[in-house]
Amino acid sequence: MAKRRLRIALAGNANVGKSVIFNQLTGLNQIVGNWPGKTVERAEGPLHFKGYKIRVIDLPGIYSLSAFSMEEIVSRDYIAVEKPDVIINVVDASALERNLYFTFQLLELEAPVIIDLNQVDFAAKKGIRIDAEKLSEALGVPIVPTVAITGSGMNEMLSMVIAVISGEKKLKPLKVRYGKEIEKRVETLEKLVSSKLPQLCMVYPARWVAVKLLERDVDVAGKVKNYEKGKEVLDRAEKLAAELEKIHGEPSPVVIASERYALANEIAKEVTIVEAPPRIGLEQKLDAMTTHKILGYPILIMVVASMFVLIFIGGNFVSAGLEFLFENLLLYVEGVLSSFLPEIAVELINKGVLAGVVAGITIALPYIVPFYIILALLEDSGYLPRAAFLMDNLMHKIGLHGKAFIPLMLGYGCNVPACIGCRIMETERERFLAGFVVVLIPCAARTVIILGLVGRFIGLHAALALYAFDLVLVFILGRIAFKVLPGEPVGLIMEMPPYKKPSIRNILMKTWSRTKDFIYIALPIIVFGGVTIEALALSGFMDYIIEVASPLINGWLGLPAVTGIPLIFGILRKELALVLLGNVLLQQGMVLQDLTAIQMIVFSLVTMIYIPCIATIATCAREFRWRKALAIAVIDIALALFLGGLAYRLLSLVT
Amino acid sequence: MRGGNKRPSKKDNPRNMKDVVSLTSLREGEIGVVAHAVGGFGLVRRLAEMGLTPGVKVKVLRRGPFHGPFQIEVRGVALALGRGVASRVFVRPLRMESSG
Repeated sequence: MAKRRLRIALAGNANVGKSVIFNQLTGLNQIVGNWPGKTVERAEGPLHFKGYKIRVIDLPGIYSLSAFSMEEIVSRDYIAVEKPDVIINVVDASALERNLYFTFQLLELEAPVIIDLNQVDFAAKKGIRIDAEKLSEALGVPIVPTVAITGSGMNEMLSMVIAVISGEKKLKPLKVRYGKEIEKRVETLEKLVSSKLPQLCMVYPARWVAVKLLERDVDVAGKVKNYEKGKEVLDRAEKLAAELEKIHGEPSPVVIASERYALANEIAKEVTIVEAPPRIGLEQKLDAMTTHKILGYPILIMVVASMFVLIFIGGNFVSAGLEFLFENLLLYVEGVLSSFLPEIAVELINKGVLAGVVAGITIALPYIVPFYIILALLEDSGYLPRAAFLMDNLMHKIGLHGKAFIPLMLGYGCNVPACIGCRIMETERERFLAGFVVVLIPCAARTVIILGLVGRFIGLHAALALYAFDLVLVFILGRIAFKVLPGEPVGLIMEMPPYKKPSIRNILMKTWSRTKDFIYIALPIIVFGGVTIEALALSGFMDYIIEVASPLINGWLGLPAVTGIPLIFGILRKELALVLLGNVLLQQGMVLQDLTAIQMIVFSLVTMIYIPCIATIATCAREFRWRKALAIAVIDIALALFLGGLAYRLLSLVT
Repeated sequence: MRGGNKRPSKKDNPRNMKDVVSLTSLREGEIGVVAHAVGGFGLVRRLAEMGLTPGVKVKVLRRGPFHGPFQIEVRGVALALGRGVASRVFVRPLRMESSG
């Protein structure tokens, strides 16, 4: 009897529909987190099929199994060390050659592979048909054609998984062989590896280790070095790789990649039937328009602008409705609580815990959920790479490349997902650089302040001027950070997947899992911070802080001393700062309009720049570690105070 | 015949500098055969892994705006390469096929 508990992993290139398949298989029960110790997303979900309990793991979308990125190392270590029962290699039927390059590397790892030939419908539209049987023969592994977006082929694929597990279907995987010169050296090194490093060969296939060493893989070399006889193997590998490079006049990884691609090209040609010349479809026209050197930019501006208009109109509407509901609920709860608890406890629970939770639900979620929906729409349709393409040149000025535009755009919605979005950058340096500028982007909450104070009482022109100033600031600071941080900038190498009709189901699933993630990160921090600050206020400590901060707030920034309270509370949630500003002014017998125009601008400017909010800082810490997160916070606070004071003085001179 | 995908060997070492130009000098619609890429180890390896190996045909689909990135087609896939990256890829132009 075969075992009834299985682990299967999904592996494949980016943009092949892997996440759609994952969503089809696991539904809403997925757990999204990180690989231990790594900022690489790990998605896992349960699946029941024909009496089997299956855990599905979605590996990151990658193009190779070299040590290029953390994603690649995590993936290959998972496959080699944890040895899942089956690997479903998702392959894009419309780009078979490039996808086979990855498949070969799975086969070299001697993993039990089944191929999910996905997007066969899209390939057909391009006039391409793949002879699945022939491909299966060539690779020696089963192949199941699917159209993941409609769910077609999913059952067949799962049945195939079971057939492989039960031994009903045998795998006779192709052994990836190289040209004579390489093959000779691979075999020599393979023998050496298996005789000198038997323990390592329990985990990784000896031939794979040999190929990786010839490719000068730093990560594998590091593993080998830990063994007593590792040095001997490494020296030999170095010699063999140098010989290869001498023969071919190319770095050894290029030589080996060329060979894999030559084989991929050979097989792809054999199994591909070109049925009709590709038609110039709507997708191509859209592609040409959206990456056009002139037309592309107004389209980009329109897309981004309509996204924000939609979010603000939709968000305002929902937010107002929810606020009305919860306000009454809060009053009711307060009444119930005061019937049996002392007043101080009621205050703590109500203002600290409940008000924070309610603010999260009524203020943040109505903006964040539509934001996620539109984001998923832009992602799944394929527009984001086009935007990155258009912005590449500008991004280079701050030491980043086009892809960084994506997290920057996310930043206008909320800095938390934007920080996580910095993961699309390739190196640690680029990630941090992107994160550093992302937190300076005014998120929806800060927009509420800018529009609600400056926009409302001074005019839209002043609010827009603040935004423009912020963009200039982002640019200058990005440029400084780029010059100061050690390391070389990385150029753009990005796939431009064809436009596709997004699936509503997939968009909703993505929105759901991201919203869940946001709640898990933000809510505990909001509650904890709320209780702390409320406790400070109740114990009278807050008055003390305001008194101490008064020279800074009043003397340097020119604001009424009580505005220290909303500025401090703003660390929790920025949009709360505006509500609180109204409250504290009211206690002084003032209203918002009693502030001078300069005070309004200074207040908005300071809130716009100083640390985004506690949830963002926590996310930064998760992504870049605490030291860097605190550095960002300190720099932003110092900068906000400096610029606030400067603005106060300069504007006073002008008016 | 595997045409442009011959396995590299000693005899037809593509690093023959004659007629070799940077990818950035191709016009939109023009095709070139990759000769080699220059740059750091990581970049050269990455380009090879994305399919830009010596001997493969690349077509320039679009030259990006404002001295921007290049959109190319290689092995049936569209890739965007930053201008700096594209300038490090050297190709032998196939001017005759530029109309096709």
